[in-house]
Amino acid sequence: MPDPKPLAEVELSIPSRPEYVGVARLAILGVASRMRFSYDEVEDIRLAVGEACTRSIDRLNGGSDQPIHLRCLIDANRLTIEVRSKLSSAPPSAEPESPDAEKGLSDVLIRILMDEVDTEERAEEGIYLLRMVKYVAR
Amino acid sequence: MNLRVETRTPREGVAVIALSGEADVYTSPRIKQEIVDLLNNGTTKLVVDLTSVEYLDSTGLGVLIGGLKRARERDGDLKLICDNLRILRIFEITGLTKIFDIYRSESDALEKL
Repeated sequence: MPDPKPLAEVELSIPSRPEYVGVARLAILGVASRMRFSYDEVEDIRLAVGEACTRSIDRLNGGSDQPIHLRCLIDANRLTIEVRSKLSSAPPSAEPESPDAEKGLSDVLIRILMDEVDTEERAEEGIYLLRMVKYVAR
Repeated sequence: MNLRVETRTPREGVAVIALSGEADVYTSPRIKQEIVDLLNNGTTKLVVDLTSVEYLDSTGLGVLIGGLKRARERDGDLKLICDNLRILRIFEITGLTKIFDIYRSESDALEKL
């Protein structure tokens, strides 16, 4: 869990539409580049954030105009990223391009690219939260 | 950054789809459409050139997997060209190097089709 007071916080909200996932990736690229991550680690974080946003959009399945919120907690030795979106009330996607396989790939990527990953569904608030942590190599 | 899709037909029944830019949740439907159009027009031997792809996500991977499946259903194939280590790593960590034939050059890929 993140410390109560990170050194800095960056927040961003994007519409839950595919054309805005690139905006989230650019923002996280800026944040991670200011930390002591290697080039490969920055790229890993960028891909993980893109996957997290894509999953949120898939989950909402066009059934929500609610934004996706990203919160980056910057500490000396780690970056914590929270991706928060509304729990979908829409039916599951009927897209025939093996969505389950893609979701599986997305999960694999996020879990391999980041050091810690956990998800939380807050049904009473209607919120889905994915939290990822990347540690700065010592 | 966006995605550019350029298709050439080096010989009959064979198409090389050269992608440059970002293959993600926003742009991947265009790749899928290109593959589907080629297959529907009878071009079943496909090479997707990822040399100039700077970003590839699970949606892009899904489209390539779907393309491979559709091509093989029509007795065709889909091979990849990639020499970018970042992109190759994505195939490795997802285990997809086991299902895709990935070549370093177009001549190598075309020779094996």
